[in-house]
Amino acid sequence: MDISTFVQQMINGISLGSMYALIAIGYTLVYGVLRLINFAHGDIMMVGAFVAYLAQNAGVPFELAVILAIIAAMVTGILTDKIAYKPLRNAPKISLLITAIGISFFLENLFNVLFGGVPRAFSAPDYLTKIIHYDGIIVPVTVIIIPVVTLILLFIILWILNKTKYGMAIRSLAFDIPTVKLMGINADIIIMLVFAIGSALAAVGGIFYAVSYPSIDPLMGVIVGLKAFAAAVLGGIGSVAGAVIGGFILGFTEIVVVAFMPDLGGYKDAFAFIFLILVLLFKPTGIMGQDLDRSRF
Amino acid sequence: MKKITTIAASVALIASMSYAKEVKIGVVLPITGPLAAFGQTSNDGLKIAYAQNHTLKNGDTVKLIVLDDRGDKVEAATAVKRLINKNHVTAILGEVASSNSMAMAPVAEKAKTPMLTHASTNPRVTKGKKFVTRACFIDPFQGAIQANYAYDHGYKTAVIVTDAKQDYSVGVSKAFKKAYEKRGGKIVGRVIINSGDKDFNAQVSTIKAKNPSIVDFTGYYPEAALMVRQARAVGVKAPFIGGDGVGFPELIKIGGKAAEGFMYSDHFDEAAATSPVAKAYVKAFHAKYHKATDSMGALAADGYGMILAAMNKCKDPTDKICVNTNLRATKGYKGVTGVININKQGDAVKSGVVRVVKNGKFSYLTTVNP
Repeated sequence: MDISTFVQQMINGISLGSMYALIAIGYTLVYGVLRLINFAHGDIMMVGAFVAYLAQNAGVPFELAVILAIIAAMVTGILTDKIAYKPLRNAPKISLLITAIGISFFLENLFNVLFGGVPRAFSAPDYLTKIIHYDGIIVPVTVIIIPVVTLILLFIILWILNKTKYGMAIRSLAFDIPTVKLMGINADIIIMLVFAIGSALAAVGGIFYAVSYPSIDPLMGVIVGLKAFAAAVLGGIGSVAGAVIGGFILGFTEIVVVAFMPDLGGYKDAFAFIFLILVLLFKPTGIMGQDLDRSRF
Repeated sequence: MKKITTIAASVALIASMSYAKEVKIGVVLPITGPLAAFGQTSNDGLKIAYAQNHTLKNGDTVKLIVLDDRGDKVEAATAVKRLINKNHVTAILGEVASSNSMAMAPVAEKAKTPMLTHASTNPRVTKGKKFVTRACFIDPFQGAIQANYAYDHGYKTAVIVTDAKQDYSVGVSKAFKKAYEKRGGKIVGRVIINSGDKDFNAQVSTIKAKNPSIVDFTGYYPEAALMVRQARAVGVKAPFIGGDGVGFPELIKIGGKAAEGFMYSDHFDEAAATSPVAKAYVKAFHAKYHKATDSMGALAADGYGMILAAMNKCKDPTDKICVNTNLRATKGYKGVTGVININKQGDAVKSGVVRVVKNGKFSYLTTVNP
């Protein structure tokens, strides 16, 4: 393999890894607070991408469509919390988990019924689909934009969590919900806020996903949701920075398998998950995760 | 009380005997899910054929029971079980994807119910089966069309793209390699993808490094559209050639300008439709849907027509064994996609076409005879 192909493959790794990282942050945020693996996260991402698509089709400019998509995803996230998760707040965690899977199926099939399963072409403005040529190496602008956006969002979230009153409330909720209520904090509002932030992140992820791979369908969130979940676990679920690291590791693993072992390319997902198992064998809490009971973001 | 039930039962029996019966055909298609375009276009064509004819020679009415398997193997097999055990269908039409048809075949075989797949091209679908027949050509023929067309038009080096999750793709890849190397072409590389993937940057970078004169893409349209787009973005100049799995409007809609020049082997092109049956179908299709015809719809119409023809040859059209025997003995059936002969293995021997994406539309290139 010559050097330019190697560099190109590394760029491909950054591109895929940052995509997973962006989606994994939302996963880990909800987990950190509620100890709930929100399997509907990938589907909220799909909702975001679809709303942006539909808004653009209705003639709304891209930037406004993005804002509408984020709002729609936040509303979807808050509604799922209110309708599906809130009544189960004191139920065993496994009930919540199963409900999350149910919500995931519901959203997938709802969009299947409404819009059909045929993939649709997602259009994006030129400045996002531009490709930079540099000495034989091709860099799509999204490869630069997505990591930057991921990092900015990461810092915003860490700032909210560590420097604001709401962040303090979120962190304390993660420890003990009844005690937080005793302190006069409206736990439901704070949990709603968590779902709103998580869903907004999912929508941003969904839109960037649709910009990078301009084909959207109601099941688009399934595989990427699973990968983002794996990334979050790999990085240490509950740790926002870990999610980013996990995303990059997963992305690079997949690209490296395809690039260096083309005959085994069909097993790239298997390699990614074997890697996940190996990490968990030696460090059950993931790379950045501390003791499961103590780690909070 | 017992008497009354007996009388009621015998009255019902006599009533059912004296009126024209209803003959049920079960249909299994991926109407939603990743391969939804296959199922939906098949269903469109089926509706045209059904509207044209749904009465058997003896006056019985045909009823279609269409089930959606979401493109899933397990769902497909379950759907067949349901059609046979619950709906008591006489014959089954479907699926499109070879992997799904292969999941259905053992169930139909065990229940001795004739199953006709209109569009599954992998040879293993009918292999060793007595009750599974198909209305389309098989992958070795399809792979050979692509290989010969590519080689004869000056593309002497190729990279093969295989979708490891699809039996169809694995089959076409093998057939392409065999026919291409026999002609004298050289396979310079092979890359693997999985259906459902969206990121093919690693694969297209590899293709670029191999620098072939043509890329043989053997998978399905959702991956084809994204892959050709990503290939053009990294500067792969070689044209793509594929099979019947890529010929869907989504290839052009999602692939955009990158899809221009994408060639593929296919079952049907209305430009090559000369028979009265084909012309009637094309006319009815245009009148109903106001869009161009497609292969899946035409094949589904032929599959349905073949089942009806087989039923008409039986004294009792619900006699599964008789319908199957006649289906397997189909010779010279004049269908929308051409004249269909079923060989000993239950595979159709018929001609194919090569098409290309040109100015955002599918255009006819040539017809290839077996």
